[in-house]
Amino acid sequence: MIKKAHLTQWLDRVAQGYDLFGPVLDGVVQFERVNSSDQLVFDYANSVVPPKNLFLPQTECLFAFRREEGSIILEPRGGLERERVLFGIRPCDARSLLLLDEVFNSDLEDTYYQEKRRGTILIGLACPSPPQRTCFCTSLGIDPLSPEGVDVLLTDLGDRYLVEVTTEKGEELVGLSQELFFPSAEGEKLKGEKGKSLEEVGEKIGSLWEDGYWRELSRRCLGCGVCTYLCPTCHCFDLTDVGSTLSGKRFRCWDSCMFADFTRMAGGVNPRPTGKERVRQRYFDKFSYFPEQYGVLGCVGCGRCSQYCPMGIDIRTIINEVIARGAK
Amino acid sequence: MSSNIYLPHLATIIEIEAQTPDTTMLRVTLDDPTLAQSFTYRPGQFAELSIFGVGECPISIASTPTRKGFLEFCVRAVGQVTNALHELDVGSKIGVRGPYGNPFPLSELEGRNLLFIGGGIGLAPLRSLINYVLDNRDHYGEVELIYGARSPQDLAFKDELKLWDEQEGVTVYLTVDRGDERWRGPVGFVPSFLREIAPSPQEKVAFTCGPPIMIKLVMEALEEMGFPPDHMVTTLEMKMKCGVGKCGRCNIGSRYICRDGPVFTLEQLKALPGGLEL
Ligand SMILES: Cc1cc2nc3c(=O)[nH]c(=O)nc-3n(C[C@H](O)[C@H](O)[C@H](O)COP(=O)(O)OP(=O)(O)OC[C@H]3O[C@@H](n4cnc5c(N)ncnc54)[C@H](O)[C@@H]3O)c2cc1C
Ligand code: FES
Repeated sequence: MIKKAHLTQWLDRVAQGYDLFGPVLDGVVQFERVNSSDQLVFDYANSVVPPKNLFLPQTECLFAFRREEGSIILEPRGGLERERVLFGIRPCDARSLLLLDEVFNSDLEDTYYQEKRRGTILIGLACPSPPQRTCFCTSLGIDPLSPEGVDVLLTDLGDRYLVEVTTEKGEELVGLSQELFFPSAEGEKLKGEKGKSLEEVGEKIGSLWEDGYWRELSRRCLGCGVCTYLCPTCHCFDLTDVGSTLSGKRFRCWDSCMFADFTRMAGGVNPRPTGKERVRQRYFDKFSYFPEQYGVLGCVGCGRCSQYCPMGIDIRTIINEVIARGAK
Repeated sequence: MSSNIYLPHLATIIEIEAQTPDTTMLRVTLDDPTLAQSFTYRPGQFAELSIFGVGECPISIASTPTRKGFLEFCVRAVGQVTNALHELDVGSKIGVRGPYGNPFPLSELEGRNLLFIGGGIGLAPLRSLINYVLDNRDHYGEVELIYGARSPQDLAFKDELKLWDEQEGVTVYLTVDRGDERWRGPVGFVPSFLREIAPSPQEKVAFTCGPPIMIKLVMEALEEMGFPPDHMVTTLEMKMKCGVGKCGRCNIGSRYICRDGPVFTLEQLKALPGGLEL
């Protein structure tokens, strides 16, 4: 346990030894680097941009190159100067990082992602009740009070937080201000509510490849890509060179399967020529391809896509529609 | 320290050979001598080639691992990077990442007859396997190659086509979409040419690579001729960036072409949603 009044003291202690990131109100709530806990907000539902950008930045230089004496010098970038602590990540986003780990860690390891991931300790914040209008993590088997994927989880109990430490790194953080923490009385852990399960979407979507629903849905979609940028599990990126052949940098930048260019090949051939194919790709990826590859649904129910879609497309409606139309 | 999958190896162009008006073969060696020794690959795999400041693109390794010390890439100029690759000279530096993707199923081919069907630049990945097979001649049966291009001057690897045809147990059939005044050979599209030749499916595995429409029609023709779907192998093309299954770009169904492909049997494609839409 830690008293609410003491939380900021602890975080300021943390900020001395680590680069501290947490929710900041900067027009909207964002996870940003802070020097002191005064900059943090504690009363928020979730950030607009998911914390994935701390691990897969929207733009990131992979290496610099320059031509020199008949050869080319490559200088890799990336890496962290100091270990980081991310305060305030929600359980849905913590789960999303476990999913991104599957992508970036499986087969060949992505060092840019992994260095940031390994070098970041997560202090999670269990979700307040009631959830936001668009939240539906409980329908996908995620517990909004679960410490899964974080090193320390704090649950708001009014004037104090219940503190659950799950890793050694978490112990280290708590150890920085051991005097502020005190044992909890038994039975104080709250139980998360379970929503109506929508997990069968994964078994049903496969039958709907040819269904007219994707065309219908695509008529409403502007193809703006906001659902993919704000999705904590979307990881598509582009690689692009900036500079000249004499010197420059290679960057990776977020990209989106909602864009026509995403799959348009030299000469103009495009296997996903219209919105129908692109919309279908997105939901098949979340509910069929991702589970096929990694054994878990590729959506964590954070609801950002539904909350910020300018056309009011709600992923829960899509899931319900798939469940209603699909066959096992 | 683990290695950085996005950092290309430097390589130097040691030979350039024009193949057709828009296609050039680059022979390169890796600059790091240890790596040049240890770099291994198998026919069917590809590499990401970089021109720093322009970008990267996936190109099949057209050489065979049985001939060591260099890598060959046959590049058709169609866009930014491929055109820039055409502007290089001997001695120019490029970046190479790879090898990526799955190879042709080499061990399953031993003792079998092999049929190769290529269109245009699609001969490049097949060439790797053809030369691999010819360098291990005892392990494989008859080899047939059916190859077509838009016009006689668009046929790539002309010298090698002759060399192959002269070998025992190898037959090369050439066709062009449009002939010219000097062309004496058959004229017609590859799929219909294939139907005319009608190779027997007996103990045979068929490999095809070329434009998507050609692959589709060739697969249909082969199926009608009695080739079983697990004996029909193709390599697929999708837009790529990372080449390693991370950038999310090149999937057909749950398979990333860069990581789980580019080599697939028709049987595998049939199991993928949209796998036959090529
Ligand atoms: C597995 C594989 C093997 C290939 N082997 C060969 C080969 O041996 N010889 C050859 O000439 N071509 C080959 N290609 C096609 C070649 O990759 C494209 O022609 C090339 O990427 C076009 O790049 P560009 O920069 O010139 O074109 P642009 O239109 O400027 O393309 C920009 C970028 O988009 C991507 N891109 C565009 N078109 C394609 C495409 N068709 N396939 C994959 N990525 C694309 C590349 O990253 C490229 O750099 C292969 C493609 C794949 C997928
Ligand atoms: S090219 Fe990036 S996933 Fe295949």
